Amino acid sequence: MIGKIKSVMSKEKLVPALSIEKVTSTLSREKVISTLSKENLSSALTKIPMKQKLFAAISTIPFIALGSMSASCATTCPYGMVNDPYPGQCPRYVDLNGDGFCDLSQATAAATTDTTTDTTTDSSTSDTTTSTDDATTSTTTDQGHGNGTNADVTPDQSTDTNTTTLPDDPGSDYGSLNGDGTNYFVLPITLIIIGGYLFTYYLFKKGILKRNKHKRIWNLLVTVGYLGTGITGVILTFMVNLGIRTALSQSLTFWHVELAILMVVGTLIHLHIYWRPFKNMFRVLFGFKFNLRKDPSRAKGTSK
Amino acid sequence: MVYDMILPALPFIGGYLLTYSLYKMKLIKKALHINIWNLIIGLAFLISAGAGFILLLVMELNVKLPISPELLYWHVELGVTLALVTVFHFHTYWKSAKTMFVAAKRRRSQA
Repeated sequence: MIGKIKSVMSKEKLVPALSIEKVTSTLSREKVISTLSKENLSSALTKIPMKQKLFAAISTIPFIALGSMSASCATTCPYGMVNDPYPGQCPRYVDLNGDGFCDLSQATAAATTDTTTDTTTDSSTSDTTTSTDDATTSTTTDQGHGNGTNADVTPDQSTDTNTTTLPDDPGSDYGSLNGDGTNYFVLPITLIIIGGYLFTYYLFKKGILKRNKHKRIWNLLVTVGYLGTGITGVILTFMVNLGIRTALSQSLTFWHVELAILMVVGTLIHLHIYWRPFKNMFRVLFGFKFNLRKDPSRAKGTSK
Repeated sequence: MVYDMILPALPFIGGYLLTYSLYKMKLIKKALHINIWNLIIGLAFLISAGAGFILLLVMELNVKLPISPELLYWHVELGVTLALVTVFHFHTYWKSAKTMFVAAKRRRSQA
């Protein structure tokens, strides 16, 4: 009896001992494999096609560009408009002097706010600013490229010709000229769309999502992007052409940009989904030959 | 500056009708007709979206470029073209575009 118990005990001890041995052996194997893989990592990297490397490198460019964006201190109209009336063509509309025109579209607007008080108290003026001649003042106001029917090129009424400054002086105090900010959420939306695509692509690759459904989702999103951007763009163009100025134009511009982000990223995804027909386009039109040996039946040029 | 809406669209409408009729008369292949318009939509997208992206960057960075008004002009004009050619794109791929909206209903009816 005692012998039986001893044998059982020894078996019980042996079993974990064996399992530990197994674990250690598997760990050591993993270590060996990992070291081998490390050794072969460089060779494996070299095996990655140049095209994929290039694609990966190019795909990082927009993110780097957007990541490095920051507000600078220039105070002119980014669209180069002159005397842009209320409510303005872009969300940066600022009217500190209350003349009904965007200060950014007025070459001397920034200086006006600073110097009008000086002109009433002190006739010498421009102690904090660099004064210019009358001739140069008139040229700066009349300069530029008008845009829209309302972009009248009229001389600045509120400014004293003796009290003008150079508009791009970053050292001047411009109050909230740059503070309104246009939050277009370029990066978050781009990342959400790319994340969504990677998610559905993963589901499709795992067989959870059907190929057609995956395609349909992204075709629908691209359609939404194109329709939204197109409709808002056409409305905005009509508004500019007909001289309609409402407070809606800013929100329309906002949604135009947001949907354009969906459109652009969606188009790139669309190209990825229909990569083969895209390549065939060059083959059909220009006779470029790509490696299409994998599935020659799909190389007819119009597949969808 | 008033943006032209009809004038830039006319050559594209005429061009599409031309290639479409040539394809229907079997003078050119369907692939050629489709790929010509795929290339045009691609170019319109590149220019319009590229100009839009530069304008967005310019606005975000608060910088004035000397070519900003021209960029805005061409962004709008090519945008109009893009919108039009997108309609042609839908026309070309209408069969597959229909399934994008109809497939769910079909499934429901089958069930």
